[in-house]
Amino acid sequence: MEGMTYLAVGYFGMVVGIGLWTYTVVVRSRRLADRLDAMEAALDRLDSGEAEQA
Amino acid sequence: MKVRVGEALLLIGFLGITSTLLLALLWAPSVSLDAFESPAAQRIFYWHVPAAWAAFIAFGALFLGSAGWLFKRSERMWRLHVAGAEAGLATGLITVWSGCVWGAAEWGTPWDWSDVRLNTFGLLTLLAVYLVLGRASQPDGIETRDTFAGFGLYGFVLVPFTYIATRIWAIRHPGPVVATGEEGSINGDMGLVLLVGAVSFTVLIIGHMLTSMLITNSEQRLLQLQRRMDGGGP
Repeated sequence: MEGMTYLAVGYFGMVVGIGLWTYTVVVRSRRLADRLDAMEAALDRLDSGEAEQA
Repeated sequence: MKVRVGEALLLIGFLGITSTLLLALLWAPSVSLDAFESPAAQRIFYWHVPAAWAAFIAFGALFLGSAGWLFKRSERMWRLHVAGAEAGLATGLITVWSGCVWGAAEWGTPWDWSDVRLNTFGLLTLLAVYLVLGRASQPDGIETRDTFAGFGLYGFVLVPFTYIATRIWAIRHPGPVVATGEEGSINGDMGLVLLVGAVSFTVLIIGHMLTSMLITNSEQRLLQLQRRMDGGGP
């Protein structure tokens, strides 16, 4: 039983590690996509503002 | 909410490796009590071997990406290099960690410095650490990329070396149980859990690499837009 407890702790550490890693990868990807959308929208506004002035 | 292919594969892979864990702990048959010092710890094999397999896929991608960047100057290949390095680091650490947990239970020590496979695999993981941390700390540029791609290219030599290490020098790390060219030492149920683990880790690592390539692409695109906003480029 002691061996199984030791193993479960080892496995648990790995599952938590991979879970956190997977989560951070997805969050990083989504945050970047949001920033990209916001930046593109800002540039579009900037371009259309310049066009109106011209 | 838009779910991308890479993210979906990451999720499926994660569920798969969690299922492998449950199968390994609760369903896979026990090994002979005489064959191992710590028979329960042997169950870590169902994660250790698939993680090592996924690490070899990641290091293969790192090699392809490095060669593609150095010889073709392809942005897509650079993204593959970055994805391979990150995926290699993650799976390399899982392999090393699971191996240490098993070694501590079975051998009484988590690491054996005299074993060739342990040390070559450890070096591979350190290479991935260097590539990931190095890219994060250095400004992006052709010289930086060339340096990292060179390391990725030559570091790949360790992959076949690690693969054949236990076939040539059986020191402490157990010998191969699959792809041995003869009948393996694992039974049908054990083989099934190992297969579920291998497929799950493969899906997870492909999902990670796709997502990582998307992240690098987004970072590059953001940089371009930033320059455009500052009036410094198209």
